[in-house]
Amino acid sequence: MGTKVFVGMSGGVDSSLTAALLVEQGYDVTGVYMKNWTQDMPGMRCPWADDLSDAKRVAVQLGIPFKVYDFQDEYRAKVVDYMLGEYQAGRTPNPDIMCNQEVKFKLFLETALADGAEMIATGHYARSDVNNRKLLRPVDAVKDQTYFLYRVSADALEKTLFPLGIYTKEHVRKMAEKRGLATAFKRDSQGICFVGSVGIKEFLSEFITTSPGEIKEKESGLVVGYHEGAIYYTLGQRHGLNVGGGLPYYVVGKDMEKNEVYVSHNLNDTSMWQNTLQLTDIHWINEPPKEDEPLLARLRHRGKLLRCTITDARLHLDDQERAIASGQSAVLYRGDVVLGGGIVSDGIY
Amino acid sequence: MGIKVYLDHAAATPLDDRAFKAMRPFFSNIFYNPSSSHAGGREARVALEQSRARLARVLGAKPNDIILTAGATESIYLAVHGLMTEGGHVVIGATEHDSVRAAVEPYSHTITQVDKTGYITPEAVRRAIQDDTRLVTIALADSELGTVQPIADIARELDNVRAQRLKDGNNTPLYFHSDGSQAAGALDLSIARLGVDLLTLNAAKCYGPKQAGLLWIRSGIKLSPLFSGGGQERGLRSGTENVANAVGFATAVENATQHRQEVLRETGLMRRAMAEILSREVPRIVIDGHPKKHLPGHLHVSILGLDAERVVFRLDSEGIALSTGAACAANKQTRSKTLEAIGMSAEQADGSLRITIGRLNNLPQVKQAAKVIARIINEELGR
Repeated sequence: MGTKVFVGMSGGVDSSLTAALLVEQGYDVTGVYMKNWTQDMPGMRCPWADDLSDAKRVAVQLGIPFKVYDFQDEYRAKVVDYMLGEYQAGRTPNPDIMCNQEVKFKLFLETALADGAEMIATGHYARSDVNNRKLLRPVDAVKDQTYFLYRVSADALEKTLFPLGIYTKEHVRKMAEKRGLATAFKRDSQGICFVGSVGIKEFLSEFITTSPGEIKEKESGLVVGYHEGAIYYTLGQRHGLNVGGGLPYYVVGKDMEKNEVYVSHNLNDTSMWQNTLQLTDIHWINEPPKEDEPLLARLRHRGKLLRCTITDARLHLDDQERAIASGQSAVLYRGDVVLGGGIVSDGIY
Repeated sequence: MGIKVYLDHAAATPLDDRAFKAMRPFFSNIFYNPSSSHAGGREARVALEQSRARLARVLGAKPNDIILTAGATESIYLAVHGLMTEGGHVVIGATEHDSVRAAVEPYSHTITQVDKTGYITPEAVRRAIQDDTRLVTIALADSELGTVQPIADIARELDNVRAQRLKDGNNTPLYFHSDGSQAAGALDLSIARLGVDLLTLNAAKCYGPKQAGLLWIRSGIKLSPLFSGGGQERGLRSGTENVANAVGFATAVENATQHRQEVLRETGLMRRAMAEILSREVPRIVIDGHPKKHLPGHLHVSILGLDAERVVFRLDSEGIALSTGAACAANKQTRSKTLEAIGMSAEQADGSLRITIGRLNNLPQVKQAAKVIARIINEELGR
């Protein structure tokens, strides 16, 4: 038998094919469904039950053992509470990054290793250089998920396989179909998994008490509308401002203490543009990059790769960028290699 | 792979050919609104009322007492919410479908006791009744174990309660509703013999169209509608009537009733063959439900230590379609309420399968499928 690999199977097409490919490549594969925290909505079918069932169906189809790891408590503590805290502080967090750091490439890895695995694998679009403990961009530049993976450790990468990193999504679907996998035609999941279909606003309103406040035009300071809670507003947001008529307004800032949201017609408002960013909570996968070394930065998932340099924790972008929110991550690349990154602390609130 | 042997008749039944044929004109030529005053409207109205009369004949009821709905869930909601406008207490069976559990949720309610075969005695119902109980709802047969309840005996027990209330000067009315969805086509649906006050039926479980159901309401019982509008169905179910569904429903139920005796015999033979083969070839298999009082094609089995979901997936890839015996088995919070109520352990419930035989089956095919099912169960258990 080959190396014992535990594959995180979510019930989607990507992780299904991941398991299938590893079986074909001669690994000794076990499928694992991670039960993360979800909030049950009354009267609705438990949304994850279908996913678990699909994952299990594929495992049975492949003839591999299948397990369920219950990570609900840890997930709630490390990911959901983090997200709620960040929103409350007026920042824009990214729960997927936290989930990868804390759950998939830490808790899952540790649990699997203790359970007899030698390695783990997931269906992420990324490549791992196991020998050199490096994370690399995948072949499919559009599906590239490395933005979500920059906080993973080198120790984890040494034990992680990303079999899909060398394929395009289109190719993955075709391969899944060819193998008759039950999930071949399943729609890709959208949005934050545990929020489900209710939408982020409704989800947050279940946990965070908000009070209505004023929406002010930045330039004039005039009250142009009212909001239900400043936390619901993200920088650059255009819709849902309850401000009627005329040119569209964009959110250009918030004051959480005063519970005020600031808007402007002017997309080019100078306060919206930045070319240096302070990063906190920096994580380097391997060695930190050299000072003034030309690098590439990505400020959001699927965002453009921007030319930059980094000195200490200060990121210098060659060209100005618009609407960088505090709390979002800046991920740094040297060519195809993901170096790591940090969380923007002096973006706009 | 497609389905070669369909053993999931309790989940859905194929549309009866004659019903389909009878429905077709109402999707094309006879599209009219039964409320229209022209010839087209009259034609649709006649078809609708004839269907209602045919359904009434099967039940031995008056056509006017039948409200056509969009399925059993709606019928149940109409019965419960329609009767409980003034509040009060409800008694439901321990093996009721989720739609009944959900419908009574807003009201004070008691769930009856049940024995380990899923059988609910009149005494168990009586014990659950309070002075302010307005409604008792017990299914004719449950959808998981397929156990058939003594509805007529329960009705007689409720008569005693009513008599006692009269004596005590308690003028709270007591209504008896039964969900006959699983029983249509298999059991006698005569309301006179059943002794119920309200009866729900579902076309989709007896070879009729989906989203078609009825609620029979004994003359004189007043219900409030769930919503109002054009005032169709005596104001209890507003919205333009679905004539095609009514015609299909009536045709399907009529056919099922006409051929009931021979179908019962054949289905019973197939079920017995399935049970015998599984019992012989699978060690420690338990046949759940009532040994005698069960739906003719319904077989619920459980095997301790088995992961039934895996068996269902493997059978699926061999072209055999059936269900796990406990809904949402993976989710401990929503493990089958029915199996919990009869005292089945969670581990046993996770190893349970529901095999429901019907019109799409024949004896040789069922015997062959039984052997495949037994083989896969044994493989899963490492035997």
